[in-house]
Amino acid sequence: MNRRLWALGLLSAALIALQLALMQSFAISQWHHFAYMVIAIALLGFGTAGTLLALSRPWALRHAPLLLPLLLFACALAMALASGRAPTLFGRFDTYLLPYEPLQALWLLAVILLLSLPFLLGALVIGILFIAQAERIGLTYFANLFGSGLGGLLGLALLSGFAPERLPALLALPVLIAGLVLLPSRHRSLQGLAILSLGTILFGLAHPPELPLSQFKDLRRALDLPQSRTVARRHDPYGQVQAVTSPAPRFAPGLSLDYRGEIPPGDLLFSNGDAFGFVPRASYPDSARLLDATPQGLPYAVARPQSVLILQAGTGLAAAQALNRGAKRIVAVEPHRAALELLRTEYPESAGVFFARPEIRLFAAEPRTWPAVDRERYDLIVLPTVGTFGGGAGVMALHEQHLLTKEAFAEFWRKLTPDGLLCLTAWLDHPPRAPLRLAATLAEFLESAGIADPSRHLAAARGWGTVTYCLKRSPLTPEEVANAREFCRRWSFDPLLLPGLTTAERQHFHQLPDSTLFTLLDGLLFGDRRKIYRDYLFDLRPAEDERPFFSQFLRLKTLPHLKRLFGEGALPVVELGSLVLVATLLLTTLAAVVLILLPLARIGWRGNGRAATVGYFGALGLGYMLSEIALIHRFVLYLGHPVQAAAVVIATLLIASGLGSAASERLSLQRLTPRRAAFVVVVLLGLYIGLLGPLLHATITLATAGRIALALLILTPLGFCLGLPFPLGLRRLHQRQPEAVPWAWGINGCLSVVGGSLATLIAILAGFNVVLLAAALAYVLAGLSARNLSQKLSAP
Amino acid sequence: MLRLRITILLALLLLPARAHTEPADPYATERQRMVETQMVARGIEDPLTLKALAEVPRHRFVDEGRRSAAYLDTPLPIGHGQTISQPYMVAFMTEIIRPRPGQRILEIGTGSGYQAAVLAACGVEVYSIEIVPPLAERSTALLRELGYRVETRSGDGFFGWPEAAPFDAVVVTAAAEFIPPPLIDQLKEGGLMVIPVGTPFQMQTLMLVEKREGKTRSRNLMPVRFVPLRRGE
Repeated sequence: MNRRLWALGLLSAALIALQLALMQSFAISQWHHFAYMVIAIALLGFGTAGTLLALSRPWALRHAPLLLPLLLFACALAMALASGRAPTLFGRFDTYLLPYEPLQALWLLAVILLLSLPFLLGALVIGILFIAQAERIGLTYFANLFGSGLGGLLGLALLSGFAPERLPALLALPVLIAGLVLLPSRHRSLQGLAILSLGTILFGLAHPPELPLSQFKDLRRALDLPQSRTVARRHDPYGQVQAVTSPAPRFAPGLSLDYRGEIPPGDLLFSNGDAFGFVPRASYPDSARLLDATPQGLPYAVARPQSVLILQAGTGLAAAQALNRGAKRIVAVEPHRAALELLRTEYPESAGVFFARPEIRLFAAEPRTWPAVDRERYDLIVLPTVGTFGGGAGVMALHEQHLLTKEAFAEFWRKLTPDGLLCLTAWLDHPPRAPLRLAATLAEFLESAGIADPSRHLAAARGWGTVTYCLKRSPLTPEEVANAREFCRRWSFDPLLLPGLTTAERQHFHQLPDSTLFTLLDGLLFGDRRKIYRDYLFDLRPAEDERPFFSQFLRLKTLPHLKRLFGEGALPVVELGSLVLVATLLLTTLAAVVLILLPLARIGWRGNGRAATVGYFGALGLGYMLSEIALIHRFVLYLGHPVQAAAVVIATLLIASGLGSAASERLSLQRLTPRRAAFVVVVLLGLYIGLLGPLLHATITLATAGRIALALLILTPLGFCLGLPFPLGLRRLHQRQPEAVPWAWGINGCLSVVGGSLATLIAILAGFNVVLLAAALAYVLAGLSARNLSQKLSAP
Repeated sequence: MLRLRITILLALLLLPARAHTEPADPYATERQRMVETQMVARGIEDPLTLKALAEVPRHRFVDEGRRSAAYLDTPLPIGHGQTISQPYMVAFMTEIIRPRPGQRILEIGTGSGYQAAVLAACGVEVYSIEIVPPLAERSTALLRELGYRVETRSGDGFFGWPEAAPFDAVVVTAAAEFIPPPLIDQLKEGGLMVIPVGTPFQMQTLMLVEKREGKTRSRNLMPVRFVPLRRGE
């Protein structure tokens, strides 16, 4: 392989790894929904580069020997400077203030533009190489995609050992090396730039930027407490874990107003700046005892479980509660390995109970897939608390919550002993949403399980801030009902669901402003829940594996009504996550149009087949991104870890696409036309829509290595075929209209930008299969355009 | 009719104040508009509360860069992840605890100091605790400068202010995931505690806690971020 291809591979790897590092940085300083923005930003840089090349193609080709190293050094410099320092700039932006301060949108736009700079410079290099090596486009595209694929794995590996804010400078090094590989000998100015880049990189490595946290992040607020300081920190691809000590923090969520005992202080753990758990300084059992005075004490009041499964066990207080209440066999499952490692090493005395007690077995595993691989049954299964204090503002709307889907409930039900209990707690929100969606999920699950009278299986207690549901596999006995009543009376909670419950009992201690919660709850569990789904302001339909966004309640249909009811500007208050997604989509689309398409208008449309060029390459950009993001989402549950899924899917698709591109070079355009290639992808996507779900479900019990191997096997054919249409189309275009190649690339980039954000929006509204369907339709459009592309271009 | 009466009363209350402060207070008109459109129009009726809100210069409690938004119907950030509450929220929280001159009220979370100033303007004896030291220093200095008699302390609100207890009411402006037992202990028999449940910039519900005959009960009053839910229906 020639030196240019090596340089291309290095650059491509660095750019993809940079995206992962930036995603993690923004997840820490703001919230994780900016991950989608990073993908759009990168693609924006790529699209803009295509446009610039369209405007300066002959000049760029003429000066390529100097331009390539120049751009690589500038890219390395921008990575170390712009990417390294952008999070600091991003500190001026705050998600929570976006709806209130127009300036915030400008800060967001400034960050988008600044961050797109290294991607723009890198993409200029890639674009020049594509044009200069158009005759060998397959091999060039292969080096690009193969390098990108390896970059995904590299990013994942680096995030295991380094804080994300350190990575931009580190990743600038391979880009600098790529520049040196292409540096003509004895060119003093370029050598000077190389030295400047190296100096900046070394400075960035020695003085990494401080990641500014939103003032509304849990971690920031904890650090504002007096005498507060970080005492330990760990990194892994799952996120950054931080332990903060301060005299103030205590933990007793939803504690009874009648509790009069001590509430011991402790330290706080944060994952990516969000609250992860509480670590009592003194005694776990004492702190866990407090949970008995919250509605979470209900299952232990109803029954005496001997075996307990705690899913997403956090810092282990729920396991300690089970131990306190006499459980003999407790299995705690927590996916966050870095957090567990921090607990074990930094809190050996207080958290020791979590690791050393023979009754508790701790597994670092994905909780949703655990029941499928575990052979035991349990008297009680406890899920983590849903929502946040006072209800969320929608920042969780884009989070996949696989523990809270209908399918998950069915699996947990199967793991229960004949008299076992499933226990769920939710924060009460206003207007009520999360507790109602939980009830809807329970109702639909019970219906599918053939339970004729759900009221005999359900108990629920409501405090001033939380509600705890207990679903019993067998009907509740009169003694258990009496126990639940006594528990509520003792701690001044109101029973919300119990066999034989009277209306007056439901609001004895904690009155609500109206009966909405009770009316809707009863309707969902025992009445016409379809009518409630249809009429309520928020979407209460249960989350499913196909659409696992439990905290997404927005309904487009009721937007005008919501606006009337809550006033102007109220929507962001309840659906902030969705708003940020839409804002990102709009801003990046606007930037894409301005930076990619408008400049191209200067050179105008020349030649034939313009609509076909736009249709073909635009549809490919959209289709590829929709496929990629839908598949990442699809594999999160299967591979048990979002970052693992992203790395496996991105790396496999890119490497396979690279191989497809390389193979396309050997194929005759007569035998495999762009049109045929696009329709092959359509057929494959159709197969994935129909077969992927059942296939993944049937093989989810395989060991991790087996699942990863199967994922590679499943994704490779699609990735290979996804890599064919673009170089085939580009080759054809180059043969007939070489000046239109950058145009095609720009259009492809612009639609990719749109596709990145659009895919998630479609997923939360309609599900992953609909995203795949949209991707298939995009490839149908590409296939249809390809026919026109050939016809027009073949015209003299 | 009652609303008309209150509006007239309010206008009368404001007349001398406006004549006195207008040259030095360019926000007097905005403040009056705030009281009329955000308080009276939404059902705040307590004359003492309305008088206090008409008097206290809210713009002094926000950053200079955000003063133009001080009287808008929204919370505003004051740094350290804290906010000055939406004006209507302050009005509602003040009215609901029925402040009367001579009462003793504990505030947990001084923040900007605005709520404490409104309570002090009602003539009650205010004790206020702020856990974030820079905020505590800033609000203490400002309250002193503006002449409000508020006892302030920088520290953990968890323990309340036992030396000054019992209190007729407790106003918790920075709510936590649990209500500290010492605060309930320091509440007089029949006393009220008001707490906004939820975080700023989202839908919050005001919760009223009442201590009576050894038992503590709560009442979720209504969502207060915007016009109450039922009013719009």
